[in-house]
Parts: sequence; C-alpha cells; structure tokens
Amino acid sequence: MQGIILFALLASTYLMVIAKRTPALIRSFRYQSLCLFAITFIIALTQREPDLYIVAGLLFTLKVSLIPYLLYRIIRKIKVNEDLGLFINPQLSLFWALVFTYLSWIFASYLVSANNAILTGTLAIAFFVVLAGMFLMIFRMTALAQIIGLLVMENGLFLFASTVSGGMPFFVEIAIFFDVFVSVLIMGFFVYRINKLFTHIDVNKLSRLKG
Amino acid sequence: MAIFIILGIPLLLAIGALFVRRERLFGIINCFGYFLVLCASAAIFKETAFAGHIKAFSNFIYLDLLSAVFITVISVVAFAAALYSIGYIRKDIEQKIISERKARFYYLLFNLFCFSMFCVPAVNNLGLLWVAIEMTTLISAFLVGFYNSKESVEAAWKYIIICSVGIIFALLGTILFSYAFSISGLSKSLNWSDMVPVAHILDKNILRIAFIFILVGYGTKAGLAPMHTWLPDAHSQAVAPISALLSGVLLKTAIYAILRFGIIIIKSGELAYFTHLMILFGVISLVISSGFILVQKDLKRLLAYSSIEHIGIISIGFGLGSPLAIAGAILHVFNHAVAKSLMFFGAGNIVRVYKKHNMNAIRGVIKALPFTGIMALLGVFALTGFAPFSIFISEMMIIMAAFTNGSYLIAALLLLCLGVIFGAFIFHFGKMLFGNLPKGMTVIGEPLSGKLAFLFLFFLICGVGIVLVFKNKDLLWLAQRLLQG
Repeated sequence: MQGIILFALLASTYLMVIAKRTPALIRSFRYQSLCLFAITFIIALTQREPDLYIVAGLLFTLKVSLIPYLLYRIIRKIKVNEDLGLFINPQLSLFWALVFTYLSWIFASYLVSANNAILTGTLAIAFFVVLAGMFLMIFRMTALAQIIGLLVMENGLFLFASTVSGGMPFFVEIAIFFDVFVSVLIMGFFVYRINKLFTHIDVNKLSRLKG
Repeated sequence: MAIFIILGIPLLLAIGALFVRRERLFGIINCFGYFLVLCASAAIFKETAFAGHIKAFSNFIYLDLLSAVFITVISVVAFAAALYSIGYIRKDIEQKIISERKARFYYLLFNLFCFSMFCVPAVNNLGLLWVAIEMTTLISAFLVGFYNSKESVEAAWKYIIICSVGIIFALLGTILFSYAFSISGLSKSLNWSDMVPVAHILDKNILRIAFIFILVGYGTKAGLAPMHTWLPDAHSQAVAPISALLSGVLLKTAIYAILRFGIIIIKSGELAYFTHLMILFGVISLVISSGFILVQKDLKRLLAYSSIEHIGIISIGFGLGSPLAIAGAILHVFNHAVAKSLMFFGAGNIVRVYKKHNMNAIRGVIKALPFTGIMALLGVFALTGFAPFSIFISEMMIIMAAFTNGSYLIAALLLLCLGVIFGAFIFHFGKMLFGNLPKGMTVIGEPLSGKLAFLFLFFLICGVGIVLVFKNKDLLWLAQRLLQG
C-alpha cells in the first residue's frame, strides 16, 4: 500500500516538472500533498500515535486545502498570464528529472547502510522531491512558481523527516507547519505587491539592483 | 530570570506599538525597553561566564557562554537602533515619506524582528532554532520592502526567496543530525544539550554530509559567498536602523547556528573537517567582497559588501580553532556589529540629506552634516582596522593565530585583502566626506537621539579597543570556555 502511494507521489512530482501552466502546477501540488497525507495517516494508523493524527490533520487542512486555495485565489485576483515561462522545455525538464531521480537513489543508498530497500526507496523519493522543487524554483520564471517550488521542497523534507527519523519532535513539527503557512501568506502578499508595481510577476525581469 | 526580560520586553513593546498612538512617545518607551534588555543581557553574560550554563522552562531554553555573547551583541545593536529610530522615523514622517500609521507598523515589526533574533541564541531545540531563524527572515522581509518602491520590493522578494531556499537546506541538515542521533540507538530528541555529550558515538559519515547542508543553508543567511547575492540588495534597500540590525546582528545569528552544529562536529572528532570548510568559505567571501568593494558606486551596497568581508574574517577565525583565533573571532563579532551599525546610521543620515545612494554624486558631507561626517570618518578608520579602535585588535588576533598555526597562505591572503579594502574605503569615503558643499545646500542640524546613538557606539568601539589591550588574558580564558558547551 505504502509503495503505491509513494509511486503516486513520484508521478505527481513528474507532473509538476512538465507542467506548463500555473493551475496545472497547483493541481499537481495538491496531489502530492494528498499522497503525503495518506502516508502519514497510514503510519499513524499502524503506530497508534495520537500526535501523528494531528500532524496528518494539519497536513490535510494546510497543504491539501488551504494553501492551494490561496494560490488559486492569487491567480484569480492578479489576472496575469498563466504561462509559467519555461527556461527549459518539458521534454528536457523530464530528462533532468530522471537524472535527479537516479542521483537521489545513489545518495540514499550511500546514507542507508543496511540492506533495506523500502527505506532506501523512500529516502530516494524524498530527496528527489527536494531536488525537483529546487529545479522548479530556478527554471520557472514567475514568482508563483517559485513559491510552489519552495513548498515542494518542504514536502520532500517532510517525507524525509518522517522516514529517516520517525518525524521531528511534535512541537517542532507544529512550529514548522505554522512557519510554512506564514511564509506562504507573506510571499503571496509580496506577489500582489510585485504585480501592482511592475504589472507582471516575471522574476526574471526583476533586475533593477545590480553590482 | 533575566532571559524572560529579554524575550518578554520586545513582545510587550510589539503589543504596545499597536496601542500607543503617538509615535514619538512610543519611540522613547521603545528605547527604554531596550535599555532594560541591555542590562538583562549583561546580567546573563556575567552569570554564564562564571556559573556555566542555565536551563529554564523545562529544557526549552538553554544558555551558555556562547549564547550569552550573541545575546549581548544583539541587545547592544538593538538598543542603538532603537535610539536612532526615534529621530529617523520622526524625519520620515515630517518629510511625508511615511504616515503616522506606518510608523506604528514600523515599531511593531522592529520589535517582532528583535524578538525573533533573541529567540535564536536562547532556544535549546535545534528544530526551534531553525524556526526562529526562518521567522527573522519573514519579518525582516517587510522591513526591507518597507518603502514600497520598485527597488525595495525587488530586494525583499530576492531576500525572502534565496534565504528560504537556503534555510530549507539547513532543515535538511538538521534532520540528518537527528537521523545520526536516532540510529545510534538513543531516544528521539533534537535538544542540543542532549546531542553534545554523545557526539563521539554518532555516525561520522552522516554528520559530515549533514554539516555541509548546515553550512550551505545557514551560510546563505550569514552572507557567506557564493550564497551572498541577496545581501547587498536587502541591506541597501532596508530602512537605515534596520540595515544596521540586518548587517550587525542578523548575519551573526546565522553564524551562531553554524557554530552550534560545528561544536557537535568538533566533539565527534572531526575538527579538521570543520576547519577546512569554514576557512574555505571564509576565504571565498573575503576575496569576492574585496573585489566588489573596489569597484562599488553605491554607498549602502559598499557597506553591505564590507559585511560579507567581515563575515569571511569571522568564519576564518572560528575555522582556525585555536583559543587565540576564537577569542579574535568572537571579539570580531562584537566589533563588527558595533562599527557597522555606526556606519549604517551615518549612511542613513547622508542618504536622507543628499537623496541618493551614488557615491560619485555625494560631496562635502563634513560641511553639510558636521557631526555625522566626523563620526563616519572615524567609523571608516574603525571599520577598516585602524590602530586605536577595537577591530584592529580582533583582526590582529586572527592574523597572529593564523601565523602561529602555520597557515601562512591564509595570513597573507587576509593581509592582502584587508589592505585592498582599506585603500578602497579611504578612496570612496575621502571623496564623499571632503570637498565643497553642493550648491543650494546648507548646514543641517541633527536630532539628539541620533547623536546619542552615534556616541554610544563610538564609545564602545574605542572603549573595547583600549580596555582589551590590558585584559587579553581574561579574553583567552573566555574563549577557551566558549566552545566547551
């Protein structure tokens, strides 16, 4: 079961890498968060830890519902071109994503000494998700895509933490959730401002400060 | 007990900023608040120096000498910035740059920013340390984009994005540390005070990888090159008192985080690894920044690049690792914070009067603003390491440590870069400070609170520089205790 969900998570990440328009990117982000929620929920069921139920609940309310909703709202409000503005076309992006998957596999098998295929696989996927988020942040031009890239990286880290060390201590987990939510709010606020001042959200064209 | 004053007062003041309607009155209250914080931090410093560590709040808060040093540095600069803010914000309102309401918003953010910075050295849990550092980014982004111009919003966006990505890597490193901790068969914990005693049994390979992530992640926030690209933008666009806080102490809180993890690495027996990485990043920062300083045209960006240079020196100092070098580095943290704040206050006054950042267009500052001009002149000498001032002593200690360690190449590079930077600073500031008054400009009076802030900082620069010549044994004793945890 867990394997299937992990596979779905991987697939949703590939979908994000090849997405051309912002709504598609947000939708795939929602799928990814949903997979993450499912994994956490299953772990909570098997381990019977009340803390994990709360974490799973927070994951659902924040990352599956609230944050995608906020991002959709921003798109509706600012009414800019929905194209992501790719520096690298989808085919080449997919190629790089495959390379990243392989690299994360090597990294994961270096990190896990024992012969544990499931743990290694999960680690590899988690690390790949972090790299994919980084890729989105660098090679997509709009400010919104950068926010989503950051969230994707954070999702990868969440998976990483819950597999390698059985999650962070409970209050740290809560604090990090709060932090991510606040950072999305603040970045969204800045996207509004950028749109108001520059009449676009193309970060590649933000180049007034040099040297 | 004093730690509750330090964390409580900024929070109370933040709430107060919402309710007190007269911003001038509130500025004075603010200043008194930070004076109390300064006294409390001195008390903590004294307590930790003699009694070892303090734990409070069921292990939530853990203070040792290292945290006490950083808390003291933060409170000194915060007090000076609060003092300087009174006059600066008043002028902004008089010139209709901001409204009264926005001034209250400024004080709210100022206090929240200080609160989040005070949290960094106070918390014990490494996950909460991460949260506190991310909070400093999020709050100060508003202060960078405060004037809402195209440039400042651009700077704020770059700042928030680059630092958030960097800090995500730091979280990855933190998780790897906790992984190393959990596979060694110990119960789940992220408390620093639990990790240090068992550092020697942790898996060294994982610790090494984890520290790379930590160094890149928090190094972004600390402004180590080549991750420094957000820094000149953010520092040049922020409100002047905030530039001082950003450059003087925000960078240092990230250095503090690196040191916390560095101590675990050193205790696990990987001193050489720590040394090499810190020196590598330090040297890169020093070389890159000295190039940019040489060709810089913008006044505030010049000071920002100088911060990268000093962070490089601090990182080399901690990297060298001998007691002399660590004493020098910790002293340099303090000295740079004080001297750089002085310079940013000066730059703030200059930019307000001349209404531009371009150094080629600014002439005759000493005639237009006699007090600020003279303070800036002395500040330049202090910042570039001239003799009676305190930075001279800390730089000297680091260079001496490099020679006694046998790292001649690093000592030579340090001396070369410091020479280049000294020349560049004298050249840039010489042109600006002297010369004739531009047409249509008269001598301008300065507010008392601003002058007091300058004098307070200048007193510290001189005082520390002169006192330490006679007290160097105590300083070495402190440095030896510093990295013991």
